[in-house]
Amino acid sequence: MSTFLLELGTEDMPAGFVTSALAQWEQLVPASLALHQLSARTVRLYGTPRRLALVLEGLPPRQTDQEVEYKGPSVQAAFSQGQPTPAALGFARSRGVQIEDLERRTTEKGEFLFLRQVLPGRPTQEILPALGQEWILGLEAPRMMRWGTGNLKFSRPIRWLVSLWEDQVLPLTLGALTSGQTSPGHRVMHPQRVTINGAGAYQGCLEAAWVQVDPDRRRQQILSQVQAQAAAVGGWAEVPASLLAEVVHLVEWPSAGLGNFEPEFLSLPAAVTTTVMITHQRYFPVWDSERRRSLLPHFIAVSNGNPDRVSEILLGNERVIRARLADARFFYQADLSQPLVDYLPRLETVTFQEALGSMAAKVERIGQGAARIAQQLALTPSERLVVERTALLCKADLVTQMVGEFPELQGIMGETYAAASGEPLLVAQGIREHYLPRHPGDDLPQSYAGQVVGIADRLDTLVSIFGLGLAPTGSSDPFALRRAANAVVQVVLESPLNLDLLRLLREQITSFSSAYPHLLPSPDLASLEAQLLVFWGRRLRSYLQEDLGIDYDLVDGVLGKTQGDPGDLRLLRRALEDLGDLQRRAQWLRTSRVQGTLGKIYPTVNRATRLAAQGDLPADVLDPQQVLEVQYLSAPVELALAQALQDAHGVITSHPGDYPRLTEVLQAMTPVLERFFDGPESVLVMDPDPVRRRNRLNLLGLLRNQAALLADFGVIVNLG
Amino acid sequence: MNFQSVIATLHQFWSAQGCLIVQAYDVEKGAGTKSPHTFLRALGPEPWSVAYVEPCRRPGDGRYGENPNRYQYYYQYQVLIKPSPDGIQDLYLDSLRVLGILPEEHDIRFVEDNWEDGAVGAWGVGWEVWLDGMEVTQFTYFQQCGGLDCQPVSVEITYGLERLTMYLQQTDAIAKIQWNDRLTYGDVHLQGEIEQSTYNFQASNPQLLFTLFDLYQQEAEQLLDKGLVTPALDYILKCSHTFNLLDARGSISVTQRAGYLGRVRSLARRVAQLYVQQRQELGFPLLGAAAHRAPAV
Repeated sequence: MSTFLLELGTEDMPAGFVTSALAQWEQLVPASLALHQLSARTVRLYGTPRRLALVLEGLPPRQTDQEVEYKGPSVQAAFSQGQPTPAALGFARSRGVQIEDLERRTTEKGEFLFLRQVLPGRPTQEILPALGQEWILGLEAPRMMRWGTGNLKFSRPIRWLVSLWEDQVLPLTLGALTSGQTSPGHRVMHPQRVTINGAGAYQGCLEAAWVQVDPDRRRQQILSQVQAQAAAVGGWAEVPASLLAEVVHLVEWPSAGLGNFEPEFLSLPAAVTTTVMITHQRYFPVWDSERRRSLLPHFIAVSNGNPDRVSEILLGNERVIRARLADARFFYQADLSQPLVDYLPRLETVTFQEALGSMAAKVERIGQGAARIAQQLALTPSERLVVERTALLCKADLVTQMVGEFPELQGIMGETYAAASGEPLLVAQGIREHYLPRHPGDDLPQSYAGQVVGIADRLDTLVSIFGLGLAPTGSSDPFALRRAANAVVQVVLESPLNLDLLRLLREQITSFSSAYPHLLPSPDLASLEAQLLVFWGRRLRSYLQEDLGIDYDLVDGVLGKTQGDPGDLRLLRRALEDLGDLQRRAQWLRTSRVQGTLGKIYPTVNRATRLAAQGDLPADVLDPQQVLEVQYLSAPVELALAQALQDAHGVITSHPGDYPRLTEVLQAMTPVLERFFDGPESVLVMDPDPVRRRNRLNLLGLLRNQAALLADFGVIVNLG
Repeated sequence: MNFQSVIATLHQFWSAQGCLIVQAYDVEKGAGTKSPHTFLRALGPEPWSVAYVEPCRRPGDGRYGENPNRYQYYYQYQVLIKPSPDGIQDLYLDSLRVLGILPEEHDIRFVEDNWEDGAVGAWGVGWEVWLDGMEVTQFTYFQQCGGLDCQPVSVEITYGLERLTMYLQQTDAIAKIQWNDRLTYGDVHLQGEIEQSTYNFQASNPQLLFTLFDLYQQEAEQLLDKGLVTPALDYILKCSHTFNLLDARGSISVTQRAGYLGRVRSLARRVAQLYVQQRQELGFPLLGAAAHRAPAV
C-alpha cells in the first residue's frame, strides 16, 4: 500500500473557490478512482489561498484485475461434424486465443462459445498522472481565467505542481509546468521552497514552513484566537459562519489581533459599524456579551503576516477602520440632513427594470398591492395608514449615501432614518422588516406593516418579471424570484396571515396589465396566470418537502404530480387560495401515515379513485343525490355504499376543513368498499348495462371526490 | 516619502523592469484603464510593457473636499504588461519594497476582486491588494477588452497613489498628503476639488452636455468610418466623461441610462476592432521588436 500526494500551487485563489474545489474533489476523486479499479484507504484534502492538495493513503500497487467475458458463436454454428467452423476459428483468432481456450455455456437462447479473460491491472503509478490532470482540470468555478500566453483555464494562474508517489516524483504536466518535489512556504515567513520528503509528510513539511494546509486546523486556530482576544477585553466576538469560512481561506498561517477605534464612533448605528467590519474589512466585531447589547470599540483582525508583527499590523488596520468609520459618519450625517420622505423624488432616477421603469414606479405599485392586502386582512383604518406610509417609504433609503456605499444596509438605514425623521416607530420597523426573510433561516417580519409591504413588494416583482417573459430558468434567477416566492409562503404560513394569494395574484396581474398594456395584452392574462401557478406549485412543493419534510407522494396528493396539467392547476389554485389549509392537509396526511390510518383507507380509496377515472363525474360533485339514479341501484352492497356516501356527505358538509373527521368517515366506509370490490357480494363495476355501469362509476367518483377534499389518492404511491 | 517621490520611485522601479514610462493621456477619463496605452495596447498579440500616472475624473465621487478620503479627481499609477509574466506577484511585492514597505513586516493579502467595465466591453479577473487591511492596489488579468478576447493576457496593476502615500506618510486625509517637502496635496488640489464638485453637481449645464454627447458621438462615428483609431478613441472618451457628468448631475433618467451606456459600448467595441485590424494590416510590428529587443520582464 502506498501514498500519493498531489499539490497544485497557484496565485491567490478566491476563498469561495478553495471551499468549492475541496468539496468537488471530495466527490470527484473517490469516484474517479473507483472508475479506474482503484481505491484509497483515506482521501485527505488540503487547501489554502495558494494551494489545493490531496493525499491518498493506502493505494494498491496496481489496479484490480478485471475479468471480462466475450460471447462467441452458438455451439451449433461453431462446430460441423466435430470440427470448428470458420465462425468459431474467426472468433478465437479475433481474441488471439485457441479454440481450446473457449468454453461452452448454456444460455436462454441455447449453447454458446464463451471466452473468459482476465485483464491484469496496470500499475497505479502509471495511471495517477493522467488522473491528477483530470482532477485539476475537472474543477469548476463560476469564473475561470487565462493568463500569459497559455490556453489553460483555472480560477487563478497555476504556478507549481508537486506530485509524489511515496518519496518519488511522479511526473505530471500541465501546460508548460512539470511537477516536482518542492513547494514554496509561507509568502513572507518562509519564501524559500521546501522539499516534501514523502507523500505522507506533506502536512508536516509545510507546517515547518509556516503553512497550515489543513483548513479545519486553521478554522480551529482562528476560532480560539479570536475568542481569546475578545475575552482579553472582557468581550464576546461575533463570528458569522460565512466570515469565518472566508477568513480560513485568506490566510496560510493565522494570527488574530485586537485593534481599537475611537469610542465616539459607537454613536453610529451598530449595523453600520459591524457591516464595515464584517463585510468590508473581514474583521470580527466585539460585543459586551453574547447578548449583544452594546458594541465595544474593538475589532479582531486575522493576519497572514509574521505573528511577531501583529501589533504593528493592527496599527495599520486601525487607521483603515478609522477612515472607513469616518466615511460612514460623513454619509450618516449627510443623510440625516433631510427627512427620509424628501428622498422620494430621487427614486425616479433609480432603475428597477428597464421596461418597468424606476423604483418610484415600483413604490407606487407596492402601495397599491399593499392596500389590496390590507383590505383582505381587514386591517383597521389606522393600521392601513401605517401600511400606506411604510409602502411609500420602504425604498427611500436606496438613494441615501449610506446605502449607496453599503447596499447591504438597505432597510436597516431606512428604519434608522425613518425614526430620526419622526416617522411612527411601526413604520420604521415595517421598512426594515419588509425585506425579511432575506435568506433561508433569516428572521421573519414581526410587524403587520413589514409583512404586508414585503408581500406586496414580492408579488409585484413576481408578476411583473413573469409578465415580461423573464421567468427564472435553470440556475439563472437574476431577480431572485424563487427566493421571493419562498419568502411569501413563509411569511403567510408562519405569521400566520389569512390571505387568499390566488385572488391577490389575479388582482396583481390585472393591475400590471392595465398599467403596462403594451407589455401584456389581455389575452395573455390566462397563460400568465397558469405560468405563475406552476411556478408557485414548485415553491410550495419545496416548502412542504424540504422545510416541513413531508413525503413527496403526499405532496403530489395535495399539489398534483404533473406540472401544468389542467387538473393540477385546479389543485394549485385551491392551494393558493388558502395556504394554511394546504399545510394542514399535508401535515395531516403525514400524521395519518405515521398513525397507520392512511394505510387502512389507502387501498380502497386508491382503487376507487383509479377506477373512477373511467367515468365522467366532474371533480367537484360531492352530493350523491345529484347524480345517483337510486331506482337502478339493486345489489345490497351498492345500496349500502350509496347510503354510506350520503351519510359521509352530511358529515363533511357540516365540518368543512376537518380532515381527521374526513379520514374517519373514509375509514368507516372501507369495509363496505371492500365488499363492493371483492368477495361474494361484490359487483361488476363495468356492467354491460350502461345505467348500472354509470351508477357504479359515479359511486366511486363520489368517493374519490370526497377523499380529494384531503388529497388526490390516485398519486399517493406507497402504502403505510 | 513625498507624493512625487512615490511616483518617481515607481517610475524607476518599473523602468528597470523593462516598462516603457509614458505620460498621462490628455483626455478626461474615469480610470487609467481607458488610456490608449492600456485599452488599445491590451488587444492583439503584440507584447507591451508600460507604466504611467493617470489622472482620473469621477464626477459623482465629488464631496467638495469635505470627505477626507474621497475626491472626484485623483491619480492612479498604472502598469500594464503583456503577456503577464509568471512572477508578477513577487515583482509587485518588490515594488512595495522600494517604497519602503517590507512585505515581511506587514500583512499583505490578495483578496478576490474581479473587474468589469460594461461601458467598454471589458472584464478581467484579479484581486485588490490589502496592505494591513487597506486596499492599495488593483490587480487584474484582462480577459476581454472592447468585446474582444485578450490573447495573450495582459496583467494590469493599478496603485491608488493617494492611499499608498497616506499609508506611507501615516496621514488621515488626502489633503494632508505632503506632495513635496513644502506643499501639500490640498495646496495643489483642494480649491479645484471644491469648484469641480460645484460644477459637477450644481453648475454644469445639462442641455449643453446632452448636445455635446451627441456631437462627440457623431464625431467618433465619422472618425471610425475613416479608420482613424486614436482620434476616434478621444471622442469616445469624451462621450464617456460627458455621460459621467450628466449622471452626477442626476440628469440621466431611467429610460435614457441604458441607451447612453449602449451607445458608448458600441463605439468602444468598434474602436477595439478597428485597432486590432489596423495592427494586423501593419503586420503587428511589435512582434518583431520583441524578438530582437527582449524585455527584461
